[in-house]
Amino acid sequence: MTIEVEWRDYDVIVVGSGGAGSAAADAAAAEGARVLVVSKDPIACSDTKISEGNATVRGTVSDADTEQVLSDNLRVSGADLPLPALTDAYAKDSRPAYDWYRAHGLRPKINQDRKGPFARPLAKGGHTVARSVGHKNAGVAFSHAAWDAVVEGAHIDYLEDAWFLDLAVEGAENGAPGRVAGGLVYHAASGTLVAVRAPAVVMASGGLNTLYFPKTDTMRGNTGDGYAAAARAGADLVDMEQVQFLPFCLTAPASYEGLLVGEPSTASFLGVLRDRHGKVILDGVYLRTRAECSAAIMRAVADGRGTDDGGAYLDLTANARLPRSGKGFMRYLETSMPSAYRTARQALSKPAVRCEESWEVRPAAHYTMGGIRVDATGASVGGADDGTAAAGLSGLFAAGQAMGGVFGANRLGSTALTENVVFGLRAGRGAADHARTHSRATGDDAFRSLIAAAVAQFGQSGDQAPAHLKLELQRAAWDCIGPARTADSLNRMDAVIDDLADRAGRAAVPDYALWNQAFIEWVELRSLLDVARAVTAAARERDASVGGHVRLDRPQVSILAQPYSTVVRGQAANDGVLRFHANRARRPRTPAMRLLAMRLKDAWRKVQAKVLCLLPPALLDPILDRRYRAILGPGDAAPAVSPGGPAAAVADAAE
Amino acid sequence: MKIDIVTTRNGVRETVAYDYRPRQEGERPMILDVLLQAQATALPDLAFRYGCRARNCGVCTVDVNGRPRIACRARVRAGDRIEPMATLPVLADLVVRRDGIARQLQGRTTPDHRDPDVNAEAPEAYHDLTACIECYACLDGCPMHARNFGDDAADAAAPDAATGYRWGNPFSLLKLQRLRLDPCVSEDGRQAALDAAIDLGLDACVGCKGCKCGVGIDLKGGVVGELLAAAGDRVPGDGASAS
Ligand SMILES: Cc1cc2nc3c(=O)[nH]c(=O)nc-3n(C[C@H](O)[C@H](O)[C@H](O)COP(=O)(O)OP(=O)(O)OC[C@H]3O[C@@H](n4cnc5c(N)ncnc54)[C@H](O)[C@@H]3O)c2cc1C
Ligand code: SF4
Ligand code: SF4
Ligand code: FES
Repeated sequence: MTIEVEWRDYDVIVVGSGGAGSAAADAAAAEGARVLVVSKDPIACSDTKISEGNATVRGTVSDADTEQVLSDNLRVSGADLPLPALTDAYAKDSRPAYDWYRAHGLRPKINQDRKGPFARPLAKGGHTVARSVGHKNAGVAFSHAAWDAVVEGAHIDYLEDAWFLDLAVEGAENGAPGRVAGGLVYHAASGTLVAVRAPAVVMASGGLNTLYFPKTDTMRGNTGDGYAAAARAGADLVDMEQVQFLPFCLTAPASYEGLLVGEPSTASFLGVLRDRHGKVILDGVYLRTRAECSAAIMRAVADGRGTDDGGAYLDLTANARLPRSGKGFMRYLETSMPSAYRTARQALSKPAVRCEESWEVRPAAHYTMGGIRVDATGASVGGADDGTAAAGLSGLFAAGQAMGGVFGANRLGSTALTENVVFGLRAGRGAADHARTHSRATGDDAFRSLIAAAVAQFGQSGDQAPAHLKLELQRAAWDCIGPARTADSLNRMDAVIDDLADRAGRAAVPDYALWNQAFIEWVELRSLLDVARAVTAAARERDASVGGHVRLDRPQVSILAQPYSTVVRGQAANDGVLRFHANRARRPRTPAMRLLAMRLKDAWRKVQAKVLCLLPPALLDPILDRRYRAILGPGDAAPAVSPGGPAAAVADAAE
Repeated sequence: MKIDIVTTRNGVRETVAYDYRPRQEGERPMILDVLLQAQATALPDLAFRYGCRARNCGVCTVDVNGRPRIACRARVRAGDRIEPMATLPVLADLVVRRDGIARQLQGRTTPDHRDPDVNAEAPEAYHDLTACIECYACLDGCPMHARNFGDDAADAAAPDAATGYRWGNPFSLLKLQRLRLDPCVSEDGRQAALDAAIDLGLDACVGCKGCKCGVGIDLKGGVVGELLAAAGDRVPGDGASAS
């Protein structure tokens, strides 16, 4: 049996239907483009949906929260890898982006004095101002907005259960990328290949974190398909070594491995990280970035001081022990990250949940800071330094986790939900504009070899199961290019990738067309192999530790050093395998005075935190009690996530 | 631990007895753990949906011993039988075609009726409905949804998931009722949402014993009851409505 090919014509294809994809589709349709959204998961089912629902909205607490302050926060925490044009765009659009969600039904609590949403009172690590707005039902509330935008949206067609396989490209010459002619999609629900002619494609396909499964808290669909397809088509990727590992994820029980139970802020005023012998490996945890906490855990593990499961202990007991403020702390813990706490409550022992015992935690992949290299309109760029669209893959746009360059070496908490719409709207507009001003593809040649390759895969006989190769790759990726890396581990990774790529050539795929899981696994394996190569190539180019890239055998990068981003471009060799060439793009340093001011502020906060810990309990308790009252506000803040009693829940037998 | 997994490959349905091996002493695995392990060992092509493993994404619902369960958060017991959701057409193994459910709202809701001033706070009831994770457990036993498959001879219509089902379900009613509670939706928008609910077959709810939600949302009172009350005489009742 051969699989049927269906041809379709659109102005813009949007890959993905999370925050970025839904915003891009909405913006492109508003510009009059005919839009097709393809999404492997059901519409709006995405990381956006499963997030904690905290969104950065500049100026919610104070007018002193200027665009400059927010842009600087992003760049400084990103170790100056972020492109100023992107962080400025983010700072400029953060409010309109948030209001886009609201226009589609997101309803926060309103601060009538400031005529806008309330922010959570504690600034999340790396933010110098409180500007993270929390929401009832967390990310699920955001996904309703994304869903409404796509399903209710006028002039938007969509296909779910649809795997975007490859970009069709024409006119690539002499190593320069060509232009997009459309893309090839496997629509599993109808069992067809859909060849979509379109002059512009927006990649809003999320991250690559499934490369580290099960040590990840993200959606299964994070298999890096967007990066891989872009790279195969000749687009540049940037900062691919920068994967964010969230420090506080579970090691056990097995059903919960990798799931998120907290942020640095969860540690609250007195929480510390300890090694297996009980020795403190990090204090002032609540003021640290995710990267700092993850690095502390992984360094302890590398020194042989980790727990049996390769993690460390998050010790919150000092917070809970104080007679008065301990109650405030527990309420804070329950309400500040409700779905993470729900996971902790289900998975950990009763004394641990009451914070009478430490929690065993280990980092897990959470976010991909690197991605498709773009400018502030979301257009693919190539060339030196900031790059230009003229040297990029013409017609390719990216937004959300799929794009790189805005967060550099570290992403601050609550910034992604805003970012995906800031750049989703920009990329959607850019793509519609591109479709208007550029002629359509000249023929269908660009599709021929893609279709032939996909068709040939159905009915392949072989002795390898793609699902199993995927698991092998995931294990190796954690060990070799996970939260701690060495020159040796990078070499080992390359060997594993070569072996698996070879065996992937002998993958068995049955010949039926309708929802062929083996084909799906093979497609995702191919993406994961490509992105693993990109991560390894970038990690080699980045020869010191910075942010999410922790090299155990190399020093921390000096803040005085000239910052640079890694850029990788793939090239298919004769054997069809994608090899990456890495180089560097120079980045400007944040002006010394601004950097210094921020560092001093941060250092001062850490000193204050230390002093606080030295106070005798009798003095400390009332101080913390007041702080929790201020944080929680009247009525003790946020209510529980899901309404209704367990008695009404027919499907959720574990609760 | 022996578990029956019902697989469908290329249209052929079969029951596979899978022997789950605990990974830890005293492990109390979830349904999803069984499916993942089966795929990692004996059944590499096993098709099933999952996403977050944390009861947030709503796509992993399967029937266990004939009742819908969220696979990542439902404990498994020896002898359990795992099947695809009976309420939707099977694509492969445990994967059912879901998109017809959402699609039926296309063109029936009114995005234009939202007020641009977004600084209005929504009532608690609005947030209660936003808790829906779209797991579709509520389709179980819904006579309105069953009409799509011809269970009600008078209304028999060929189900067409690609264009959206003719008749509604608790999820689509929830989406419509949510619009009616949104402070930023105009009076016209609210009316249109009610009209859509009636058009999707709200009359089936009259006398129905009521729907149950997989995560505990009060569908009976908060959705169906409210819609029936608002519809009044437009949906003739027998006095035994779901509210
Ligand atoms: C547990 C958790 C908590 C989080 N909490 C927060 C928070 O509180 N605040 C915050 O700002 N951020 C948070 N984040 C991060 C944030 O949710 C994500 O980074 C962001 O939502 C990504 O949006 P996106 O639109 O880029 O991608 P996603 O929302 O991941 O959407 C990706 C889409 O692409 C589709 N797709 C992928 N590959 C293909 C393909 N080949 N073909 C077709 N479709 C494809 C998927 O189906 C999906 O629709 C959290 C993340 C997690 C996992
Ligand atoms: S009350 Fe209405 S929506 Fe609920 S199960 Fe009955 S017919 Fe279906
Ligand atoms: S209403 Fe409840 S059962 Fe129905 S889809 Fe939503 S969460 Fe699932
Ligand atoms: S996998 Fe997301 S709800 Fe089960």
